[in-house]
Amino acid sequence: MSDSPRGPEALAELAQCRDEIEQIDRQIIALLSRRLTLGKRTGELKKLAGLPILDPTREAAVIRRVTGQARDAGLPPEPIREVFWQIVGMSRRVQETGDIPAPKDAGSDDS
Amino acid sequence: MIIVTRSNVTDAEIDHIRERIESVGMRTHLSRGEQRTIIGCIGDESLLEGVPLLSIPGIESVTPVLKPYKLASREFAASPTVIRVGGREANASFGGRELTVIAGPCSVENRDMLVATATAVRSAGATMLRGGAFKPRTSPYAFQGLGLEALRMLVAVRAQTGMPVVTEVMDTRQVDLVAEHADMLQVGARNMQNFALLAELGRVRRPVLLKRGLSATVKELLMAAEYIMANGNHDVVLCERGIRTYETATRNTLDVAAIPVLKRESHLPVIVDPSHAGGDAALVAPLAFAAIAAGADGLIVEVHPDPECALSDGDQSLAPPAFQSLMDRLCAFAAAAGRTMSVSPSSARAVA
Repeated sequence: MSDSPRGPEALAELAQCRDEIEQIDRQIIALLSRRLTLGKRTGELKKLAGLPILDPTREAAVIRRVTGQARDAGLPPEPIREVFWQIVGMSRRVQETGDIPAPKDAGSDDS
Repeated sequence: MIIVTRSNVTDAEIDHIRERIESVGMRTHLSRGEQRTIIGCIGDESLLEGVPLLSIPGIESVTPVLKPYKLASREFAASPTVIRVGGREANASFGGRELTVIAGPCSVENRDMLVATATAVRSAGATMLRGGAFKPRTSPYAFQGLGLEALRMLVAVRAQTGMPVVTEVMDTRQVDLVAEHADMLQVGARNMQNFALLAELGRVRRPVLLKRGLSATVKELLMAAEYIMANGNHDVVLCERGIRTYETATRNTLDVAAIPVLKRESHLPVIVDPSHAGGDAALVAPLAFAAIAAGADGLIVEVHPDPECALSDGDQSLAPPAFQSLMDRLCAFAAAAGRTMSVSPSSARAVA
């Protein structure tokens, strides 16, 4: 590959792209950590307000909203739905158990 | 429950239908065909009792699925599923018009034999390579496979030949390791109802080749596929490989009828393993012809450069010339069944 005339240039840009991807992944982790912390808090608030933790109507609305947003952004809606069902599921488990690892380093990147 | 939408349904209407179903705690699966779009509902159907489905815009009909398998059932998909294996450099697909033939040794014994076999089967028209790394053997004293070393050889030979590789995963602990190396993961007949393994395979993003258990019914095979699909991996290819009957003249009895039955009951591709079904090299070709005539989407055949010296299953392995002859003769059966084959230069020469 590096034999081609534009090989070195391409390799340099590839490394740059990978750096950027790594940064984005770190941001995603930080955002997930914040989302789960908020999930834990909503779980506590639901208990105080006497509401059930499991709220399928709310979950369905969240999924529908992100499906529309994904489509508007030109992303394939089905895989995005899968990703968000995972996130919603994680959040529900956190609300049920109140169990979440302390968000130590994860939050520091975007502050 | 299967919801068929109207032909002019909009994305917003589909989103609304799915939200209504998901808001009672069920999940949905979308299948878009050229003619119609189907929304499959997964979960406790009694939850939908109070929902006036037919009054929701965009819905044409609602049908309950009475079978225990849902995602694997024919009704759940708008059209038969085509499953793609591999990436840009090495790929194959199952369930289209073209038959896909997987060939290779029962187990990977060393690099030279693997290269020799791969080159020979590719020139005969096979598009995927098989090769066991972890072998489930009836005897604990028999050759158990080369493990990781074999996986590395498979990767090297894929790069050399452009053939995607399938290899068996026997244990939940091996899933990630095998998925890192292989393009397709095989569940062997003896593991068809290893539900922990099936669930684990549901979490990886690699197509699964699911072989029918020695004494498993068609329904049990489809329930095993459902296990993988329910855990998130929808790319399952079914494989009929012979079942245990009272007959002792053959190693197993190829259940030819299972092929059209599976095609009727499921949208998943079906391939046949004529090598294990007969347990005898002389039976491989006739069973392969029967499979294609009955509607199978492909074959998985054991080929060894020197079957007499094979470390496992030598009796049922074809030598490369016999495999070439099988592929040449298979063309006529494929054409009669309305299927095509990826014809190689050498088999074109043999036909001409």
